[in-house]
Amino acid sequence: MQTATAEPLVYIDHFRMDFGRSTVIRDLSFDIRRGETFGFLGSNGSGKTTTIRALLGIYQPTAGVLHIDGKPFQPEDGNRLGYLPEERGLYKKEAVLDTMTYFGRLKGLTKHAAAAWSLDYLERVGLADKAKSRLDKLSGGQQQKVQLGVTIMNQPELLILDEATKGFDPVNRRLLMDIIEEQKKAGATVMMVTHQMQEAERLCDRVILLKDGAAEAYGTIPEVQDQFGGTMIRMTYSGTIPKSPHYDITSQETSYAELTLTDHTDEAVILRDLVDAGVLVRSFTTSKISLEDIFIRVYGDENAAAGDN
Amino acid sequence: MGRHNLSTVISFEVVRTLTKRRFWIATLIVPVILGIVIGLVSLSSSATSSAAESQKSAKFTFSYTDASGIVNPAIVSKIGGTKATNATTAVAEVKSGKLDAFFAYPKNPATQSTKVYGVDTGIFNNGKYSSVATQILVASAQTKIGDPTLATLVQGNLPMDSTTYKDGAVSGGINGVIPPLLFLAIFYVVILLLGNQMLTSTLEEKENRVTEMILTTLNPTTLVMGKVISLFIVGVVQMLVFAFPVIVGYLFFRASLNLPNFDLSHLTFAPGPMIVGALLLIGGFTLFTGTLVAVGAIMPTAKEAGQIFGIMMALIFIPFYVVTLVVSDPTAPIVQLFTYFPYSAPVTAMLRNGFGSLSVTESIGVIVELFVLGAIVLQVAVRLFRYGSISYTSKVSLRTAFARPR
Repeated sequence: MQTATAEPLVYIDHFRMDFGRSTVIRDLSFDIRRGETFGFLGSNGSGKTTTIRALLGIYQPTAGVLHIDGKPFQPEDGNRLGYLPEERGLYKKEAVLDTMTYFGRLKGLTKHAAAAWSLDYLERVGLADKAKSRLDKLSGGQQQKVQLGVTIMNQPELLILDEATKGFDPVNRRLLMDIIEEQKKAGATVMMVTHQMQEAERLCDRVILLKDGAAEAYGTIPEVQDQFGGTMIRMTYSGTIPKSPHYDITSQETSYAELTLTDHTDEAVILRDLVDAGVLVRSFTTSKISLEDIFIRVYGDENAAAGDN
Repeated sequence: MGRHNLSTVISFEVVRTLTKRRFWIATLIVPVILGIVIGLVSLSSSATSSAAESQKSAKFTFSYTDASGIVNPAIVSKIGGTKATNATTAVAEVKSGKLDAFFAYPKNPATQSTKVYGVDTGIFNNGKYSSVATQILVASAQTKIGDPTLATLVQGNLPMDSTTYKDGAVSGGINGVIPPLLFLAIFYVVILLLGNQMLTSTLEEKENRVTEMILTTLNPTTLVMGKVISLFIVGVVQMLVFAFPVIVGYLFFRASLNLPNFDLSHLTFAPGPMIVGALLLIGGFTLFTGTLVAVGAIMPTAKEAGQIFGIMMALIFIPFYVVTLVVSDPTAPIVQLFTYFPYSAPVTAMLRNGFGSLSVTESIGVIVELFVLGAIVLQVAVRLFRYGSISYTSKVSLRTAFARPR
């Protein structure tokens, strides 16, 4: 992983966002350090896109400070920003190359440089033969590749990717990851919204989990894991697992269960307590709690409630 | 950077519009139709005039009776006619086909009808009888006058050169009215041709979900201004394309199209009305463009935005319902209302400016009103685009857009 410097590139302090009488973000504070890859995680409707839009000046915050590089973002700074929004879209009736060149020029490149870069990129992502095609003649995945090209064509200092892999097949997802990795190596700071927890775990230096407009967890992956007990026990058994203040039963089937430790109690103590309670333990393995498990734990109740509705 | 982006937006918008096949089909269809009409009119005119000429000199047998004593027998005999002794017999001969035609000139041909009887030769050829009967009478009258100049004067086709004065100076008359009214014509052409494009110009960003990419790349004011300027450029191109067949028709087919021969050197381009007309045009264009862009920004689809377009178009035609009052009684309350109501002001004020009834004070008032409101509406349009275009699927509420702190 890239070594990040301590000085934040993105700084958000006590951000609040109301839409009429509805509060989408209650009180949110975090920062993103230069050079790091930051995972911005949360369930649908938790306020991720709203936060990004407010950070980029599309929404005006109700309260709080949102700075990029020490000041509120202005479109004129756009040549250092690469933003791939969740709502994908480009000028559908225009040719691919014309659209890319237009955005390249708006981002400060010359017409020639923008066109040359675009052709190289299209070659790389297998769309060289589509340069003169209208965008609406391309498949959804192909359009996303074009939009990603538009996002990174100015060698951005800050790359904000809102569900970048949505709609990509595994091959193209790998291609996308390679491109993000290259941007990181070139010095970009990456802020990524994703629902792929394994992806976040693999790529991100630090993450924030957003729930109901506030941070539920924030820090490096190990720090976040620690905030949720850090350890998960997977076991096969027979009998009845007793309730305990030391763990939550996060998954349970007839003879299989997953327990997430809620404190730093030793795993051996847990095993002894289970045996003492008459549980016949057939297998007992421990591992660090995954981000996916944390995600399910944080948002499980909300999704269950939504499901009930 | 801002200026660079403005020129980038303008060139992108203009080039992509002018390179669209659909644009040229829509633009060329008008001059093509005009060309076809001009061609057909030209052909018809030459056919009609040659038919009329041939009818005037048509050779057929006829006789006549003359109660007026005006008809000159020498003229009649030169074209093969004879004097009839009895009208009833002559009509009977026409009926039987022995004679092609018979004309019965009354005692006073100026007030009484000349009776013309003829053998039916088809609806288009039957006119020759009346033509010849008329020519005989005209030629006979000219002979009676005996002086070609007097004969021309009697016909009344006389060249006149009038000079009128206003406030002690020569006023332009109709030649002074036409030039300022050209701005009104340009206003109508621009709004009618481009109104729908103005309305949908920012809808494209919304419908294509490209707003976020745009708003994080360039200032929305730059985008809206770029679109407005590019629309104006496209409008100029369309006007030139439309004007081309008219100019060609006037220069090369004026005679066959029966177009009057305007002596453009007589037009009076008074600086005052011309400057006022130009400012009213720019102010009106700004106000209408800003309003249409603002409407486009809050509507989710072109279909829904189109409903507003009809209302805007009605507003620019309403002053014509009271055009007589606008010209004859500019102090009438309705005319005053239309002069200052923002969306009827450009047309009403340009009409009054053309006819010289818009005072200096009123001119300043309307121009200031249009420019101030135009600037405000453009700012509103930018704000609505900024907050409205991000609402991809719903109509944005004005209260929501303006409630946000800025």
